[in-house]
Amino acid sequence: MNVLVLSGYGINCENETLHAFEVVGFKGKIVHINDLIQNPKQLNNYQVFAIPGGFSYGDDTGSGNAMAKKIMTNLYDQLIDFSLKDKLIIGICNGCQILVNLGLVPSLNKKDPEVAMIENKSGSYECRWVEVKVNNNKSPWLKNIITLKLPVAHQEGQFMIPFNLLKSIKNNNLIGLQYIDHHKKLAKGQFPFNPNGSKDDIAALTNKNGNVLAMMPHPERAFYHYHVPNWQNNTSKKFGDGYKIFMNAKKFFA
Amino acid sequence: MTNTIQILSIEKTGKESSLQKEHNNKSIKIIDGYFFSTNLDYQKFTKISKLISNDVSQTILTKKNVNKILSSYSNFNWVVEIKFLPGVTDNIATTVKEIIKDNLKSSFKSFELGSTKIILIKGRKEDITKISKNEANPLIQTIKIYPFKKYLNNFKKNKFKIEKVKLPKKKYSKKEINLDISDYRLSLIGKLGIEENDKSRRGTLGLDLESLKAIRNYFYTIKRKPTDVEIETLAQTWSEHCKHKIFSAKIDDIQEGIFKKYIKGATEKIIQLRKDNFCVSLFTDNAGGIEFNKDWTICHKVETHNTPSALDPFGGAITGIVGVNRDCLGFGKGAKPIANTYAYYLADPNKNYQLYRQKNNKDPMLPANFIAKGIISGVRVGGNCSGIPTPQGNMYFDDRFAGKPLVFCGTVGIIPKKIKGKLSHKKKANPGDIIIMVGGRVGKDGIHGATFSSEELDPNSPVSAVQIGDPITQKKMSDVIIRELRDENIYSSITDNGAGGLSSSIGEMAKESGGFIVNLEKVPLKYNGLYPWEIWISESQERMTLAVPPANVKKVIKRFNARGVEATIIGKFIKKEKAIVKYNKTEILNLDMEFLHEGYPKLNLKTSYPKIKKEKKKIIKKSSLIDKLHKLLSSPNIVSKEFIATQYDHEVQATSIIKPLQGEGRVFGNATAIKPLFGDEKSIALSQAAYPQYAEINPYDMAGCSIDTAYKNLIVSGANSKKIAILDNFCWCSSDEPDRLYQLKEAANACYDYAVAYQTPFISGKDSMFNDFKGFDKNGKSVKISIPPTLLISSIGVVDKISHLTKITPDDGDILLVLGNTGNELQGSVYSKIIGHEKTKNPVVNSKDALRTYKNFEKANKLGIINSAIGIDLGGIGIAVTKMAISSKKGLTIDLKLKNKISVDQFLFSETQSRILISIKKNKLANFKKIFKASYYTIIGKCTGSDVIEFKDIKKIIRGKISDFAKSYKQNIKGL
Repeated sequence: MNVLVLSGYGINCENETLHAFEVVGFKGKIVHINDLIQNPKQLNNYQVFAIPGGFSYGDDTGSGNAMAKKIMTNLYDQLIDFSLKDKLIIGICNGCQILVNLGLVPSLNKKDPEVAMIENKSGSYECRWVEVKVNNNKSPWLKNIITLKLPVAHQEGQFMIPFNLLKSIKNNNLIGLQYIDHHKKLAKGQFPFNPNGSKDDIAALTNKNGNVLAMMPHPERAFYHYHVPNWQNNTSKKFGDGYKIFMNAKKFFA
Repeated sequence: MTNTIQILSIEKTGKESSLQKEHNNKSIKIIDGYFFSTNLDYQKFTKISKLISNDVSQTILTKKNVNKILSSYSNFNWVVEIKFLPGVTDNIATTVKEIIKDNLKSSFKSFELGSTKIILIKGRKEDITKISKNEANPLIQTIKIYPFKKYLNNFKKNKFKIEKVKLPKKKYSKKEINLDISDYRLSLIGKLGIEENDKSRRGTLGLDLESLKAIRNYFYTIKRKPTDVEIETLAQTWSEHCKHKIFSAKIDDIQEGIFKKYIKGATEKIIQLRKDNFCVSLFTDNAGGIEFNKDWTICHKVETHNTPSALDPFGGAITGIVGVNRDCLGFGKGAKPIANTYAYYLADPNKNYQLYRQKNNKDPMLPANFIAKGIISGVRVGGNCSGIPTPQGNMYFDDRFAGKPLVFCGTVGIIPKKIKGKLSHKKKANPGDIIIMVGGRVGKDGIHGATFSSEELDPNSPVSAVQIGDPITQKKMSDVIIRELRDENIYSSITDNGAGGLSSSIGEMAKESGGFIVNLEKVPLKYNGLYPWEIWISESQERMTLAVPPANVKKVIKRFNARGVEATIIGKFIKKEKAIVKYNKTEILNLDMEFLHEGYPKLNLKTSYPKIKKEKKKIIKKSSLIDKLHKLLSSPNIVSKEFIATQYDHEVQATSIIKPLQGEGRVFGNATAIKPLFGDEKSIALSQAAYPQYAEINPYDMAGCSIDTAYKNLIVSGANSKKIAILDNFCWCSSDEPDRLYQLKEAANACYDYAVAYQTPFISGKDSMFNDFKGFDKNGKSVKISIPPTLLISSIGVVDKISHLTKITPDDGDILLVLGNTGNELQGSVYSKIIGHEKTKNPVVNSKDALRTYKNFEKANKLGIINSAIGIDLGGIGIAVTKMAISSKKGLTIDLKLKNKISVDQFLFSETQSRILISIKKNKLANFKKIFKASYYTIIGKCTGSDVIEFKDIKKIIRGKISDFAKSYKQNIKGL
């Protein structure tokens, strides 16, 4: 089981993302986007393609846009090919924004991005812990998970989805995660439970196969129990909720 | 054909909403504009538009649709167009250029473009003027306001323009400066700068007459005239910013100066006293280093960026944070930045100070809220975009920061102790090593930055002193250094290009080899037309200088280029102790290294005891205890800074272990911790403290309080007392005045005494000596506003085990205790400012008592006796208790039947140092008493778990609801 963790141009969560994969049993490598463009064939050696969080190109021209355009120009076919195989792709935070801009989620019409990521309703950067519930439990990434406590850290985390498309996203069950409140009910847009004002409290989308997951919260930052706020009140477990996502990837190939 | 691409968001953006809120619901729409230097044909327009926009959320405006689309939003009547001035860093434009070049490859090579913000408004002209003032800084941006119709007209006629830097084409000929002139004219060179042929002056050099005479004498002895480059270089190298002349000067009877005697002296004494030296690198490198574990070293550096932040708050602050990141990259062979810290000392953002740099209401200081907001955003963008967590910080307000905000930016780095068997903190540029500049290009940014931060802010402060950081370029560079090159031991030395630019970085590194030869024409430029002296001293950001053995040069350059980073050979290091600079083969600088670094005249300073203004008694306003608590909680210096913590990513790198917001009720903590290595449970605890409120009362005690608080906060968080180091940042004012120097000497003396007493060494520091504003008020009256002398002590410590990390939330049934004695020490306190005070004193730190408390606390904590703890600081016990309740959402009962002769208010609000509020489980009380038998403590109550805090007097019980307290504590700061 090998994971390729992308880096370069302002991506910045590659170390902790790789670490999370390694702890659950993957072998992995951080690969600079320019090296991947030079030698795209190396993708064949990997079963998981991970785009970590960060600030690629400083969010200029919209979060994830510039990196998505670089991938479209240089690597698009290879990545589409990867997504059509029995392999996994995950985009976290900036990685999520990149996958959305590439149109790899929800990927219902194939051509062009169908969804946009726009600025948080609050107008400011939000670094805070949220709770999400799993909606699409058929996605290998999300199997057997009910809820997760994870941090978000972004300026543009609001999914903007045209009305008709949202309908078919729901029909196809492609909403991966949704923000919930402290009663475990849908946040219904209420801040800070829904930190960005995302419609239908969407925190993650998948493609039809569920093998591509684009999520705004950071599972790699909720990996160990001591990552979780006020962990001192509960030191019995070794891992935080983010661990489950990475374990699911392992189980998929096991 | 068109020369612009203009994009607008279909839905209302957060920015638009907040603008509307600020300006009472006027219709506002913001357009992202990209102005090109050439016309785009239809095909290019379509292609590029698609590349830089999102057709789900955005619309592209064209000549055909512009009318229709915009009118669907509102009946706009005004337009504000904000562009960067030519030469100012435009990060968005850089990205767009990269996207276009990558995608259109060779078909569209030569073009310039500028990003532009176009704000469409429906409203009155005076409102528009106000909005434009809030949205742009005239120092770095041009603001154009015009009627909406004209905007449409511009659109149809392609009348949008970008201005490129157009420097006159000039042929460079070597310029020699005649110093054989009168003292008066000589001093003009220092004050106003070198005179150009057209009689204009280049801008202040910050050289005093004595220094200029020393330069003249040197050139007498080598029998030639100096070149302009030589004088500029000496001005940079000898600046207060680079040489710290005041700290190294003889002062009264202290021959060696206060740095050697009190700061370095303290560290030397501590190392001598302690057998377990954990210091790795002290004072000489870009940051100070201590041992983290057996394999890793950590380093810490804190810088200030005050003057640039006064002129351009956003640019000043972002440059401050990415600049201090480079200090870590330049520590030893290159440490990876793993945490940022910040501390802002600002004027009240809710006040309008109306200060002007020139008479007749000209050249205004930026409004206090603009400064505060800009600074907060600058560090946000710098830290977040660089992927470095920013967990630790604070913010403090006082009117005396109206002329100069203080912006402290710090970074912690980590580096393996050894790289390929060699100690990583040791580096040496060898003779023959090639000088390679990597990262960004050189422009006119920050010219005279170093010389000018040593001067007071007056009408001659040059505007080109402002730079804007580009964190992404720096991140790309940093990734190559830390991840790819460092561990191969492929370069001999590395340092950051900060103040003074190449002149400073190369000048410093050359001390390792002997000297250097630089060919300035090789330096890559942002635009043509720079004079050699400008290239040499420019402070353009995001650059590091490397010394690379010739055999490795190709490999190094190739690696940088492969990651989209420029790397250029610009010279070499030599053995001969000469500093030589050439421009197209003409030698324009040739100085002895000894003179370059040590030739400046040493100052001889005298101090005198200042007149101390007696503080007037302030009548105590009558109000209930609960009311007082609310007033204090909501006061700007105590109120929660949560809104900063949530916009600064403190989770990136997955190291956050004690977060800035603590407990379920999210109280803004005074210490935080990160666990930097996945394979080691050791953590790094961070804190900081400054007490400008005591500066004029007693500078010695002020420094004592700062050290005590910064140290205490780490002890409280669970750090190992044997592994705590501190950093000093002196921000002073009028440091040419004897009474200010007296305060400085006193504070430095306290630094020695308390550091030695606590055995916590200074490992790094920085000073900024002239934080004064000289200008005019709104009536044209001349005013001078000096900051209160401010000594920021930053502390960094190692926490050995996860189980040692404490929390601030008590549990039901816990007993509450205050460790340490409480005195009547309300002078300078928040209480005295807001409520008033009678006869009282300022806090004085008794290091013996304090250490006893800390040692016992540490012992008890390791034994698991402490259940929760919080350092007592601003607002005293009253506020500490309230914060505990807010964070845990658990009620407390506080016993006010006091035994000693202190009043209830003195007990609750006195800011006596060295105290800790703790809670312990009932069954631990006996063990607690055993450990604390020889130190002061008071049992003050217990945790009830209800929803109120109860204060029990002899006569009555006073209750306040926790949720009400939380509301006061979480109020917005007015003006922000």
